[in-house]
Amino acid sequence: MPSASERPRWQAVARARRWNYAGIVALVAVLCAAPVMVTASYYRYAGVLLVMYMVLATSWNLVGGFTGYVSLGHVAFFGFGAYCTGILADETQGSVILALAATFGITTVGAALIGVVALRVRGASFVIVTIALVYMGSLLAQGMRSVTGGSSGLDIAPLFTVSGRASRHAAYIVTFAVLLGIVMALWNFLDGTKFGMGLKAVREDEDRARSLGVDTTAFKVAAFALSAAFVSLAGGLYATWTGFIDPIFVFSVQISAQIVLMTLLGGMRSLWGPVLGAAVIVPSSEFFLVNLPRMHLVTMGVLLGAVVLLMPDGIIPSLRAANSRRRPPAASIREDGGSVAAGDPDSAGEPALIANGATP
Amino acid sequence: MTRSLFVQAIVFGVLTGGVYALMASGLSLYFGVMRIVQIAHPAFLFLGAYLTYSLHNALGWDPLLTLPITVPAFFLIGVAVQRLLLARLRDENRAMMSVLLTFSIAVVVEGTLSAIYTGSYRSINLDYASKSFELFGARVPYDRLIGLAVAGLTLLALFSILKYTRYGRALRATMQHRDAARLVGVDTERVTAVGFGIGLATAAVGGAVLSIITTFFPSGHWEWIAKLMAIIVVGGLGSVGGAALAALVLGVTEAVVQVWLSPVWAGMVFYLFLFLTLIFRPQGFFGGRLAQRF
Repeated sequence: MPSASERPRWQAVARARRWNYAGIVALVAVLCAAPVMVTASYYRYAGVLLVMYMVLATSWNLVGGFTGYVSLGHVAFFGFGAYCTGILADETQGSVILALAATFGITTVGAALIGVVALRVRGASFVIVTIALVYMGSLLAQGMRSVTGGSSGLDIAPLFTVSGRASRHAAYIVTFAVLLGIVMALWNFLDGTKFGMGLKAVREDEDRARSLGVDTTAFKVAAFALSAAFVSLAGGLYATWTGFIDPIFVFSVQISAQIVLMTLLGGMRSLWGPVLGAAVIVPSSEFFLVNLPRMHLVTMGVLLGAVVLLMPDGIIPSLRAANSRRRPPAASIREDGGSVAAGDPDSAGEPALIANGATP
Repeated sequence: MTRSLFVQAIVFGVLTGGVYALMASGLSLYFGVMRIVQIAHPAFLFLGAYLTYSLHNALGWDPLLTLPITVPAFFLIGVAVQRLLLARLRDENRAMMSVLLTFSIAVVVEGTLSAIYTGSYRSINLDYASKSFELFGARVPYDRLIGLAVAGLTLLALFSILKYTRYGRALRATMQHRDAARLVGVDTERVTAVGFGIGLATAAVGGAVLSIITTFFPSGHWEWIAKLMAIIVVGGLGSVGGAALAALVLGVTEAVVQVWLSPVWAGMVFYLFLFLTLIFRPQGFFGGRLAQRF
């Protein structure tokens, strides 16, 4: 029963969502324009990585942020996308584009099938299953030598026939930026739909959402498939960018961990969280890789641990909470129940599912 | 596949499966006392293997004689990790966050190992390691047999502690129902910390066994994570006995498939079993109903 005092909040949330679209367009425009100002090949290379990780983290957040299911297996879809594109494409540019489209479709179907099984379990078991996916992928990639080239990797034709390394990087920055815009717009759109609400209900209390009539399985599987499809597309693009698939790299759990770290650091429940997290992690990771190569792993581990322990909600929600503390309470004192929900802009206007905390 | 090859595969599978059982037992303990998955367990196995390697090289001790040093050290590390890190996680999202936190611990351990020992393969050469004897026409290598014996003794000790000591009763009570255990006067916080310490102590033993039977390198632990995780899910999360049985079954199946088909499919055995278990029996074969929820 939406009381009169809640309605302006609803409108504020809807307005913020509209402004987000303007923000997405602005971000994509800035990213596309960046290569004009940055001409050095190394910085453009780092730029491709940065925008690619933004795409990966935002895609991951389609399932992680909405449903709260933490997947450490998304790199399996990254690797699958790379191999699928590499195997389907031949020398021509047209075939590469077709292969990328096919990869997107195949992964959607495949990930939905995997999701039906993997999403039967929750919490820790789900994480185990997703880790297993990565190792299955890597075993298959190295085992099916006749198709994948085994452990010596696979060469792949380029998507863009531009000369010079720096201009090729620029082309990929633009491509990944457009993809980022699409995924972010999708996230923002879903955030306001019934589908998005259902997914968030799964995050808050899956059993209760189910008893309220949310088809939790179908919702989870759809989100998982969508998320995986975009990750595989990024994987395919990555493979055409480097021109070579290294089976060890494209199936390394560390990439998954980096994606999760970025999203967690920025804020899992917000549109801008993964992008912000990537903007912090990718440059610092590159910095440590160049300057302290021996300590790279340790610093990444310490960083992840620190974020999990000290800032599990991420930068953006922490800032928001600090901001809303300074504001006067949105509801009057008499509406006791309303003022609690109104304090947190994220939960305003969502189904009031509060986890009952009873652990079985 | 000839009959003798089959027998050889079975023998090898049992020898390896016993070691898997030892390595998975710690994971079951962690899950039991805290309902968390400890991704860093194999990383600590490798830390144990490297410590054994260093002690063996520096002092010339037999790998198994280093256990009186490494086991107490790992116990203390385990208590510290639980008290200082994992206990600080918030209850509401502990299952997921614990995975990420232990993942970060694993990365730190791996990074430290590769900074100290470099990324290359290491192994301990022992005079008895390369010898073997015949049993029913199958070759039984001494190092694997010693590994199995150590694993068996450790598991036996673990079971005895759980079954017959006062602490073991408190531990089992905590695993079954934390609140009820606290109501009857069990200091569940302390029991959890000690349980974690024991879990990590098994990693010290597992590490010593690992250093005897195989070569190791810092990033090798990733492969073990997926294998051991598959074992504890098939066995039923939180069930030490179930994990041991699943380890034997999977170890034998792996060895048979390796001889019969290829190493790739042998590796896939673990994941196929994992997925089949999730489809048909998500709580595992020996776990309680609650395992499904985590």
